[in-house]
Amino acid sequence: MGRHSAKGVREAKARDDRGIRGADDRGADADPVVARAVDLVRTYGDADSLVTALDHVNVEFRRGQMTAIMGPSGSGKSTLMHCMAGLDAPTSGRVFVEGLEVSAMSQRQLTDLRRTRIGFIFQSFNLVPTLSAEENILLPLEIDGRPIDRAWFRRIVRVVGLERRLSHRPSQLSGGQQQRVACARAMMARPSVIFADEPTGNLDSRSGREVLGFLRQCVRDYGQSIVMVTHDPRAASYADRVLVLADGRITRDLDHPSYEEILDVFAGDEDPGTDDGHGADDAHGTDAEARA
Amino acid sequence: MIRIGLRDARAHLGRFAMSIVAIALGVAFVVGSFGFRAMMNDQVAQMMATNADHDVYVRGTDRTDDGDDGSAAVSASGVSSSKYNPVATDLTGTIDAVPGTEPVAVTYAVSGLVLVDGAGDPVSTMGSPTLGIGMSAEHPWRAATFTAGTYPSGDGEVALHEFAARRAGLTVGDTAKVVYDDGPRDVTVSGVFATSSAQAGAIILGLDPATAKHYSDLKTSDPTTTDAIGVYGDANGGAPLTDAQQRSLADAVNAALPADAHAHAVTGDEYRAEATSSTQDALGFVQPLILIFAAIALFVGSFIIANTFSMIVRESMRGYALLRSIGASPMQVFATVIVQALVLGAIGSALGIGLGWGMTELIAAGLARMGTPLSGSAAPSATDALTGLAVGLMVTLVGAAMPARHAAYAPPIQAMNETVNPERPVARRGAAGAALCVLGAAAWLWIWRIAAMDGVPTGVPALDGFAAWTGAGWPLGVGAACLVVGVIVLGPALVGPAGTVLGWIPAHVFRVTGRLAARNLARARRRSANTAAALFVGVAIVSCLGVIASSAKASVNGIVDTGLKADFAVMSASSGRIPQGAEDAIRAVDGIKSVSANRFLFGAKFDGERVRGMTFAAQDTLFTDVFAPEAESGDANAALRGGQLVVGKDIADDRGWKVGDTVDVSTENTVVDEDATRKAAQDYQDQVAARIAQLQTELAQQTAARQVAAAQQTAAQIQQIGDEARQVDQSRFVRTTTRRVSRQVTVGAIIDNSVYRTCIIVNDALGDELGTKETMVTMAMYLAAEPGQDLASLETRLREAVRPYYVVSVMNRDDYKSTMGSMVDQVLLILYALLALSIVIAIFGIVNTLALSVSERTREIGLLRAIGTSRGQVRGMLGIEAAIIAVFGTLLGLVVGVAAGVVIRATYAADGLEVLSIPWGQIGLFLALSVLVGLVASVSPASHALRQPVLDAVGDE
Repeated sequence: MGRHSAKGVREAKARDDRGIRGADDRGADADPVVARAVDLVRTYGDADSLVTALDHVNVEFRRGQMTAIMGPSGSGKSTLMHCMAGLDAPTSGRVFVEGLEVSAMSQRQLTDLRRTRIGFIFQSFNLVPTLSAEENILLPLEIDGRPIDRAWFRRIVRVVGLERRLSHRPSQLSGGQQQRVACARAMMARPSVIFADEPTGNLDSRSGREVLGFLRQCVRDYGQSIVMVTHDPRAASYADRVLVLADGRITRDLDHPSYEEILDVFAGDEDPGTDDGHGADDAHGTDAEARA
Repeated sequence: MIRIGLRDARAHLGRFAMSIVAIALGVAFVVGSFGFRAMMNDQVAQMMATNADHDVYVRGTDRTDDGDDGSAAVSASGVSSSKYNPVATDLTGTIDAVPGTEPVAVTYAVSGLVLVDGAGDPVSTMGSPTLGIGMSAEHPWRAATFTAGTYPSGDGEVALHEFAARRAGLTVGDTAKVVYDDGPRDVTVSGVFATSSAQAGAIILGLDPATAKHYSDLKTSDPTTTDAIGVYGDANGGAPLTDAQQRSLADAVNAALPADAHAHAVTGDEYRAEATSSTQDALGFVQPLILIFAAIALFVGSFIIANTFSMIVRESMRGYALLRSIGASPMQVFATVIVQALVLGAIGSALGIGLGWGMTELIAAGLARMGTPLSGSAAPSATDALTGLAVGLMVTLVGAAMPARHAAYAPPIQAMNETVNPERPVARRGAAGAALCVLGAAAWLWIWRIAAMDGVPTGVPALDGFAAWTGAGWPLGVGAACLVVGVIVLGPALVGPAGTVLGWIPAHVFRVTGRLAARNLARARRRSANTAAALFVGVAIVSCLGVIASSAKASVNGIVDTGLKADFAVMSASSGRIPQGAEDAIRAVDGIKSVSANRFLFGAKFDGERVRGMTFAAQDTLFTDVFAPEAESGDANAALRGGQLVVGKDIADDRGWKVGDTVDVSTENTVVDEDATRKAAQDYQDQVAARIAQLQTELAQQTAARQVAAAQQTAAQIQQIGDEARQVDQSRFVRTTTRRVSRQVTVGAIIDNSVYRTCIIVNDALGDELGTKETMVTMAMYLAAEPGQDLASLETRLREAVRPYYVVSVMNRDDYKSTMGSMVDQVLLILYALLALSIVIAIFGIVNTLALSVSERTREIGLLRAIGTSRGQVRGMLGIEAAIIAVFGTLLGLVVGVAAGVVIRATYAADGLEVLSIPWGQIGLFLALSVLVGLVASVSPASHALRQPVLDAVGDE
């Protein structure tokens, strides 16, 4: 893994000096926990209208697993992911990624964390419209000025099936293709963990299956750790582990659940919106709001 | 709806700041330019009312174009008005006899004086003249009132205008010096007077009328005539007459004027109106220059407003969608946006009117500081203010119209969508722009070809005829207009390629950010091009003038370096005449090998016609010791020695003269007729003697008849007549005659020296035959040092020699170069001020464009940040974008401006632009500056982009 050219080593060292590459590289004796939240609290608003999005959450995300976070709108699942990824600052509590305390990082350190440790896949608007698919995939490495591992690039592109689409601009790609480019981009930098926020939320079911299949493959073949927020029980069924949030707390922690098990969780609790993925969040969101 | 619009306007006021500034700047230029013009006009009118305050003027009846007579005909106003034939000065007697006139006399004014203060320093002015005006108790200057002392008498006294007194630090009784044409003279200050209007920095001296007449006569070819005789009427007891009174007095004077006098009386008001408008026209050139920059500011302003409203509309789209969904019509939504625009336009315009007023006041204050006080009003008139308001509102409405339309008609869902609608293609617009550019370039190539081929561009008679018919000015102007408009129209089509080319370096130095920046530009080509256009126009104007200025400088240096053989040049700062005393003093300095004095010969006619140029007499050494001749044909040196004409190429071409042609050279000089003068004086004396003899006879009779009282009276009368006769002004008896001299002279050589291209040169012997001592004044002297002389010490000796003359300056070769150079530098200084202005405006434009672009790309920038782009990289990306826009505009401006400069130089090569010099250093500086401008402009939008939390940007809601 990784090219250990002289330059690469020098750059890795430079990063050590900046204090981010503190933890060991992903090796056999690595910490089995890739990311961890300790007593995480996130509230919004002032004293009069306090909204508690996360209520003393403690959770560990294991290396080499795909973890799905589920829950109704307003349950705090997105907030949890944003705090884990350093996009949002917790009100109290601590967040670690690869043993580094994200919640205490400066902007500069966060930038470096995003470059080296974290990959993102958003629900939409994942790609820079002025860049071709290939340029988008390579963007994180170029931003960081890292050497490009061409063999790795070709392998990823083959897996996501974009060989013939590399020179296209995002506007010339379908939604599913765009999301696959985003997946490839996230994988390209070989981050410690990929955070995916409703990666299939805007896709039809076939495209969604392709994307989820690719993510699954990354975990299986390359030991990639992935944390995915989703409404969709079908998407969650691709995960090794499913966490269910409600009112800012983790209410269930399922290991390798089947689709039916996931459906059952919601059936006992609330209507999960069994619609086949697409449009599920809308229905669900309305429900959650109606209950609130 | 209007209430919502007003409320929105208040909420958005902070966002409007930049638009308001842009509108205010544009309106300020408009109002300022009108205000400045009005102020100058007011000043001129006031000065006319003060300085030409007679009730009636008697002037010539026939219009003439003999403006180059060189008679230094300057009226009391300081404005040359020799558009009519001169009138005889002895008409004063006739006019004086008309009832209702105050005592009439010609007011003599002497220009080109220098006042030297008590400390021995000349009182300098900013280009304003120093004038001496004849005045006395009998013949006062009505507009002047003495605040101290009284009128001067004799040539040892002067009165000072209060401004002159203040500048010189002189009061009544102090001694000072006045440098007349014939040298300096010690004078005592007899009084200080004030005038109702400021004199725009002119130093005005009151002289004894006889002194004024003496020096005025020295400068004119015919002392018995004057341009106009001013008459005061006494109907109002010393106060100015009303228009009707002026009218009737003028009629009375006209009735009294002899028919053969070629003289006509006009009312003071008519005279002033005529003089005022001609002076005001001369000042009119300033306004268009300011208006160009007003146009740039308003152009930028309108798209700043369009950008701002696009942002506001996008952000408010949910609100508009809500309004629409509860039943508001598109027109009503449109109105809420337009109301905001109106508020914005009104505020901006009001600020602009104030700013423009302030600018004018500031200029007036600046001029006063530099010694040119103005009393003209700087307040903009109601019309100017309304014009400013109208312009400001119109520009705002134009800018807001498209976004408002978008707000009203766009489906709300689309408006909430982040993706920017793809631009309409720019190919067709590009083609139109390219066509215009080609047209403009063709026009310029055409005149360049005309200039290069000496006016015969093709050899095809029809086309050559066309070239002669159009001349150079029209194709030049049309070409410039086509190119400027063409480039602006073509701009959007150029943005893509320009982004690729200009982005090449940044894309290789900063791989990702550079590439992103270059591609971002092409997303909104029109917007990018418009932003660059502001800089384009400003830089084009400045670089064009820069090339011309630099060429002018290089040309002068070239003349001095290659042509000038003399070591020193001597010039006079005042009216250009070198006093005889100074000339003698210079000739007396040791170490000079030869002195060449160029004496101008005024009024020479060749084959009965004047030439377009000047004629002067020079020594035989002119072409050996001053300028090497660049002979087109003939031997200039031999021609000058042989008493032949040496003719400048332009004149020779104009008249079709060849070497060997014989030309009739004639002059008409008015000279004093000694015999007639003596006779007139004698006649007067005889008359007086006869009268006295007659009175003495009466006295004897009265004494015999013991009529004591009558006898005493007669004796007193005899005494008085005797006194008068002794004190009589001898100049009264001067009689002149016109001496016509005509010589057949051969054209000996035609020369192409740029300094002599419009000159005809004769040698001294011929000059003395043709001219008179009074009319041939030395305007320039060139000195060659003896070989082996130490030039520095010689220069010191020369300066010492001319020191008593104050106005005479000795220039060595470098000084000679820099006199021209410093003029050019002053022009450049103004240019740089204009450039600074257009840069400020352009920065506003770029800041605004980037701000809009950033607001459109909030999510994209958030995404970039989420995948690890550092803050510095985001700043870098926007900085590069801005820099490319700025460099793009600057490059376009440089290309068009330098091309314009090259073409103009080629066209006017004969007018002192022989050498093409492109100021590469300056151009490099402009480019470097443009990069800086871009970087500076990107700071604030980048900060704005970075303030946005990454989470908000990437959030789905």
